[in-house]
Parts: sequence; structure tokens; C-alpha cells
Amino acid sequence: MTRFNLYSAEFDANPFDTYKELRDNHPCFWSEDAEKWVLTRYDDVVNALSDWQTYSSAKGNLVDEFPGRAGNTLGTMDPPKHDEVRSIVQSVFMKRNLKHLVGPIQQIARDAIKNNIGDRKVFDFAEDFAGEVTYKVLVALLGLPESEDSTEVKRNALLMVQTDPETRQKGPEHLKAFNWMQDFSTEVIELRAENPGEDLVSQLITAEVDGRKLDLIQVQTTVTTLIMAGIESLAGMLKVFGYNMAKYPDQRQKVLDDISLLPGAIEESMRFNSSAQRFRRCLTKDVTLHGQTMKAGDFVILAYGAANRDERKFPNPDVYDVTRPSKGHVGMGGGTHTCLGNSVARLAMKTAMEVFFEEIPHFSLAEPDDRLQWVASSNFRSPVKLLLVRD
Amino acid sequence: MAKINFIEADGTENELDVQEGWSLMQAAVSNGIDGIEAECGGSCCCATCHCYVDEAYMDKIEAPSDNELGMLEETVAERKDNSRLACQIKATEALDGMKVYLPEVQS
Repeated sequence: MTRFNLYSAEFDANPFDTYKELRDNHPCFWSEDAEKWVLTRYDDVVNALSDWQTYSSAKGNLVDEFPGRAGNTLGTMDPPKHDEVRSIVQSVFMKRNLKHLVGPIQQIARDAIKNNIGDRKVFDFAEDFAGEVTYKVLVALLGLPESEDSTEVKRNALLMVQTDPETRQKGPEHLKAFNWMQDFSTEVIELRAENPGEDLVSQLITAEVDGRKLDLIQVQTTVTTLIMAGIESLAGMLKVFGYNMAKYPDQRQKVLDDISLLPGAIEESMRFNSSAQRFRRCLTKDVTLHGQTMKAGDFVILAYGAANRDERKFPNPDVYDVTRPSKGHVGMGGGTHTCLGNSVARLAMKTAMEVFFEEIPHFSLAEPDDRLQWVASSNFRSPVKLLLVRD
Repeated sequence: MAKINFIEADGTENELDVQEGWSLMQAAVSNGIDGIEAECGGSCCCATCHCYVDEAYMDKIEAPSDNELGMLEETVAERKDNSRLACQIKATEALDGMKVYLPEVQS
């Protein structure tokens, strides 16, 4: 194999066969289509994540980046600046500071089921549950205005993570969505500047690094990214978890029989088919790996989704097993840039799914697997719609 | 490689071969050791990779930065003289044979 098309619908639907081919035969692969290197083995991905000096994020971390974004978000800063900014926002996302969210998330999940699903036999888990729960959790966490029409925010967040499959770049509609979200963030920032609260946006506005406040563009782009990443990755993780629970009923039954298995089932879902599939780094020096020399300045795709299926690390990697010790997966990235929201995502998924299983314990995919449409994204992977039918 | 033994609060021992240059936190997380949470991934801003290092090896490890000393004020479990953040300790051959004790709670 000399090529694979990162931008094809077939690859969005099933990247896993290609990943195996790459891991086994081309562990350090130059993709002519993407014009980037691709690393797929667990050890190589973890090494890269641990070595930010060599694998820099400062030129962007999205596989296809937005102009003007790199350098202005946490994910696109290198230490020491990254660590300084992260130290400001980290406390909001710490497990010990999230306990107050459990009750509200339970209520959000109950309301989503009651209002959006009711007693319908077939429903869209993506829109009716995952999207709704995610948006409301972000409202609580970030301090987004509750009055805002969530449809537009969600629509633009989804567009932001996509790439034009023809031009292999962000197209006009994606740039427009990015600009829309920047404007929305500005509105939220202005609102919070007038009425500061305990929320994250208020903290970002007032925080100081080395005696200086963050530039407006940094606050704005960080908030934009938190909304995009929050909506698309938490909703994506939830959708994929719903998909796994529908597709593997024997595994779901294990969780229903013993709900203490739920956190492990969620970890396994992040390993098995994390919504965060691929992120990008830029080399600061030449690196020789598996007989190939990657040059300083080359871009490298770290394929988390491939590393998580590496049989060199995880035995029987293509089996979804809720009892597997799957910790150590890179479904939330790793190293300095480990997902900022990892604790809130885990808490929100566990809390929301406990409620969901109480209400709707038995369900299946309502349409065949091969009819599912997957989001066209070079970073994330999740189904656009997920129609489930109650058993 | 350095052989480092991560001993959990219940006494469970996990002896790992840690690559040089990796942080002790990274090694523990990659191997699924429960006693290290590392919510911030190694940016020295969460104090959930708190550990107690072998006294005999204290002088083989680079001294903590001011930033790390500040974060060590935030640990949930008792801070002791040999308290460190595992994300700030890079494995070197000099650490071969070291024991690292993990606290009962991180968060």
C-alpha cells in the first residue's frame, strides 16, 4: 500500500483496517494525500506525546488548521506558555471541583429523555440525547448564556471539525463557522466581563500570567476551542459509546448487571473507537524512525485511534471488552496536551449514561451498521446520526 | 531503561521498565497504574500525580522547581519531605531500582 485517502467517506467509516496495515508494514508513513507523516504504533505515539520539544504543537494541532488559530489556544501552545495558561484553567476542570455537576447532569439527562425521546420507539441518540446533554453541560461549565439557541452553536461546532474532502482544506463554510464561533465567544466574553461569575470564561478574563492579562484574541480563541472541542468531542464520545452499547449487547448486559463496570466500559470505548482519532504535531528537528527520516518542519499525524488498536500494547485489540484493563489508552491524547476536559467528560458520560440505562436499558441499532454516516473530519470520528430502537 | 517499582497504597507492587526521558507519571499512566491520576497530563498544574520517592534516591533526582513546590502545597494526601510530582521526574539510568510509593488518594 502506498496511499490511503484520509478524506474519504470510506476511511471515516472504517479507518481500522488501514491503521493495521500501517502499524504492521509502514509504521512511519508519508501520506502523499495529507502531505504529512502518520505514526500509528502505540509506543511511537506515546513517545511523541511525551516529547513536546521535538513534536511541537505551536504550528497547530488540528490535522487541517484554521488560519490564525495556532499559537492562540492551549492545544497550540508549547510550554512554558502552555503550562502557564493551563494552570489558570485547569482548576475548573479538576475532578475535585466537579462534584457539584453530578446533580445538574442527572437532571439534564432526565430532561433530554423526557422532552426529546419520550416514549418513541425509535430515536436519534446523537441529537436527542448526546448533543443535548453535551450542550447543557457546557452551559453549566463555561457560563454560556442559557438563552442562546443551541442549534446554531451545535451546527457551527460540527462544521468546524470538518474538512472539505475535495480540496483537503478547511472550506469557506468551515471558515465561516470558525468566524461565527469567534463572534459568539466575543459576545459571551463581553457578557461575562459585565457580569463576572464563577464560570470559566469569567476566570479567563480576569486571570493574569506573569502579571499580564491574556490578550483578547487568546481568550476568544480559547473559548472558541473549548466550545468546539467540548461539543464535538464530548458529544462524539457519547455517540460512540451509545453505538458500542447498541452494537455489542452482551457487553451492555454486563454493564446493566453490574453498573460498577460502567467507568471501565467508558474507558474501553475511548480505547476502542475514541472520537479523537488523529491530531497533528510539527517536528522541530530531524527524527529517524523505523528507517525513515522525518525532517524538521514536517508535519506528523499522531493516530490515537490506531495506537489504541496496537496489539503490541493491547491483546485482541479489535474486541470491545468492558472488563479489559484499558487504561493507558490515548483516546484523550497524552502528555502535556492531555485533554483538558478529561475528568468532566468521564463524569458527564458516567452520570448521563447511568440515567439513560435506568430509563432505556435495552436497545439496538435501528439501521444496518453500513448505512451509518460518519462525520467528515480528519481529526474526529463519530456518527452524524445514531438511530436506536428500543428492544 | 530504568527499573522502577511503583508501590500502591494497598501494597501492590508494579515494577516497570521505564524508558529514559519518560516521566514517571507517563510510565505509570501508560501502564494503567490506578494510584496516579495526572489530570493535567504533566503540565505541573494539578497535583494528582503525587508520589513519595525512595529516600535513598532523593539526591539522584533533580530538585523540584518553584512551580512544583507550589503545586505540592495542593496535594490531597499528606505532603511529606519526600513528596514529589511524578510528572516532573524524568527517568534516567541513575534511578534504576528506585521505589516510588503512591498515596491513598490523589483527588
